[in-house]
Amino acid sequence: MLRNSRTERLVALVLVAPFMAIYLLAFVYPTVQMFRISFTDAPLIGAGRWVGLDNYLRLDNDPMFRRAVWNTAYFVLMTVVPGTLIALLIALGVSRLKGRFQAIVLALFFLPYILPVSVVYLIWDWTLNFQFGIAMHALDWLGIPRVPVFKSRLWFLPAVAGVTIWWTAGFSILLFLAGLRSIPAEIYEAAALDNSTRWTTFRRITWPLLWPITSLVLTIQLILQLKIFDQVYLFSIGGRPNDNMVLVYYVFQKAFQQNQGGRAAAVAVTLFVLVVVVSVLQFQLLRFAERRRR
Amino acid sequence: MNFRKMMAIAVVAAGGFWVVAAQAEETVAWWDFLGGGDGVRMKQMISDFNAAHAGKIKIDATTLEWGTPFYAKVQTSVAVGEAPDVMTYHASRIPLAVSQDILEEITADDMSKMGLSASDFAQTTMGAVTVDGKQYAVPLDTHPIVLYYNRDLLKKAGVLGGDGRPVGMGNKEEFTATLQKLKDAGVEFPLGSVTADGNFMYRTIYSLVCQQGGELLTGNEFLAGDNPEKLARALAVLQGWTKAGLQSTYTDYPATVALFTSGKAAMMINGVWEVPTMTDLAKQGKLFDWGAVEIPVIFDKPCTYADSHSFAIPKNKGKEISPEKRAAVLEVISWMDKHSLFWATAGHIPAYKPVTETAEYKAMEPNATYSTLTANMIFDPKSPKAGVAGPIFDIMSNYFVPTLNGEMEPGEAVKSIKEELNSM
Repeated sequence: MLRNSRTERLVALVLVAPFMAIYLLAFVYPTVQMFRISFTDAPLIGAGRWVGLDNYLRLDNDPMFRRAVWNTAYFVLMTVVPGTLIALLIALGVSRLKGRFQAIVLALFFLPYILPVSVVYLIWDWTLNFQFGIAMHALDWLGIPRVPVFKSRLWFLPAVAGVTIWWTAGFSILLFLAGLRSIPAEIYEAAALDNSTRWTTFRRITWPLLWPITSLVLTIQLILQLKIFDQVYLFSIGGRPNDNMVLVYYVFQKAFQQNQGGRAAAVAVTLFVLVVVVSVLQFQLLRFAERRRR
Repeated sequence: MNFRKMMAIAVVAAGGFWVVAAQAEETVAWWDFLGGGDGVRMKQMISDFNAAHAGKIKIDATTLEWGTPFYAKVQTSVAVGEAPDVMTYHASRIPLAVSQDILEEITADDMSKMGLSASDFAQTTMGAVTVDGKQYAVPLDTHPIVLYYNRDLLKKAGVLGGDGRPVGMGNKEEFTATLQKLKDAGVEFPLGSVTADGNFMYRTIYSLVCQQGGELLTGNEFLAGDNPEKLARALAVLQGWTKAGLQSTYTDYPATVALFTSGKAAMMINGVWEVPTMTDLAKQGKLFDWGAVEIPVIFDKPCTYADSHSFAIPKNKGKEISPEKRAAVLEVISWMDKHSLFWATAGHIPAYKPVTETAEYKAMEPNATYSTLTANMIFDPKSPKAGVAGPIFDIMSNYFVPTLNGEMEPGEAVKSIKEELNSM
């Protein structure tokens, strides 16, 4: 049968139109507005005067912005690669289990992932509360001085990073398990016949065949952690020092607490560009690493 | 009459009834941020109001999250015409709200319709809701901070005076000695302080700056002249108490209240809004003998930070309030103020003078003990940058937690605060 390309195009248009409409309205339009507002001195609500590049030039000499960039980078460093490695190790362990037992263990690891962030915050805030937390009583019992985990400058970001890994590892584990299951058993059999050691099997077979999954997990984690906000905000309730400042928090502070919409938009644009550049860069690097291996 | 006809008549009748009812009853959408013990009292007042105005006015109340979430929501809802008809508002936030043009003016005509006059309120309180001679809200109360104390523990340590109040309230050395005696008597935390919450400590620290005659904003400059030294001295006193083990470290708000009510902390500086917590516990026989007094004088003169819960009418963009609705809102505000004797059981000091002048209020404890402090109150500086969860509040409180717990030196914190405030 001859295909009518005009009808085809029409059908295609009808099918993608609802999505495109929402995408334009809820993503493209606000993004364009964000760029526009970043060149004005607008408050949180309403229009402002055009100030050109002022908001961006002020960022250059803004210690709080520099700290936000540094803290975001520090947080990414503590979560992305360690989180991915931990998930890989757990997935390797879980894949050795069989049947229902495996399902139960996997469910246990996946459970935190389904919790909303506010619940995650409450669990850990109660556990590690400086005055009343269970963990503090454990420290007392062991004779170790109490640590104000979420309240001190030193411990805050590492602690939030730990909680974040605990919270999000379940999803990465699931991806790794799917990857591990897609590696044909015959390859392992052949390796066993060749007297390959466990380490060699992992290094020469599992790791390279799992690389596409690894790079996917790394990319997802990187984008997610660059946008870190919820946990930092919740654990900072009560006005934590600016030492905890991360980029999205800075946007929030400028816009909602200091009523400076224009400056907040400038930070948001910077973060937007940063996420695009870093994720494209990482994606290219990972592809390069993969190609070289072949 | 057939069935269809009967149904039609029934529908018309029901519809007609509904229209009559809708015309008679005005529903007032109400937002507040009163989530604590005082919120329970406010809910009681709202249901009393509704009962007294059955068929005429009904308050449809929603309680939202205190602080930044509340005020951000008010701004965005006003911008799109979805704001409530009336809302509670901190007097300290009014200059900011006026600069954002989100509040309706309360005219002299409105005041007379409510049966209120400016002279029914303290001048400082009325001044706090007025910008450039125009009034933007009606004060409900003033809510300062006070010093709560545990009489049993104080008596044991020998620091309870003959009048049932703590001794050593006159200067820094005396008060520190009182705390030290409590420590020596085996009290774990002589003073329970919200040292993990800079937002909260803002009130105490601002009081201590004021006790030295200092101010945050002079003209357009933040911390001008010798005010940085005054702020640093206030921080140093509090840090000193932490270092000497006289107050609780890294303690958040709920934990502070728990330390006090469980008897681990002998004293606590907190807002009057915790009074209901204490009275309710005491009523159930679960609390020691307690009291609340004006905070101690640490420096040169008594001074206590206060703010005022007031009622404001949002300027709903593109959906202006109807005259009927406005009349209903004014009735709500007026009724609440005139019945604020019950609000005083939430610890607050009613702003409406005819209430505080009654014999019933004067006999009310512990309000009567601390109501003297109204003479020594200071409100936030009048600036669009001031106010609860506003820019000044936010910037300053960010530096308090590390300083109070000894991670940062007062001088360093003050230098950063000054820089950040002035570069806003």
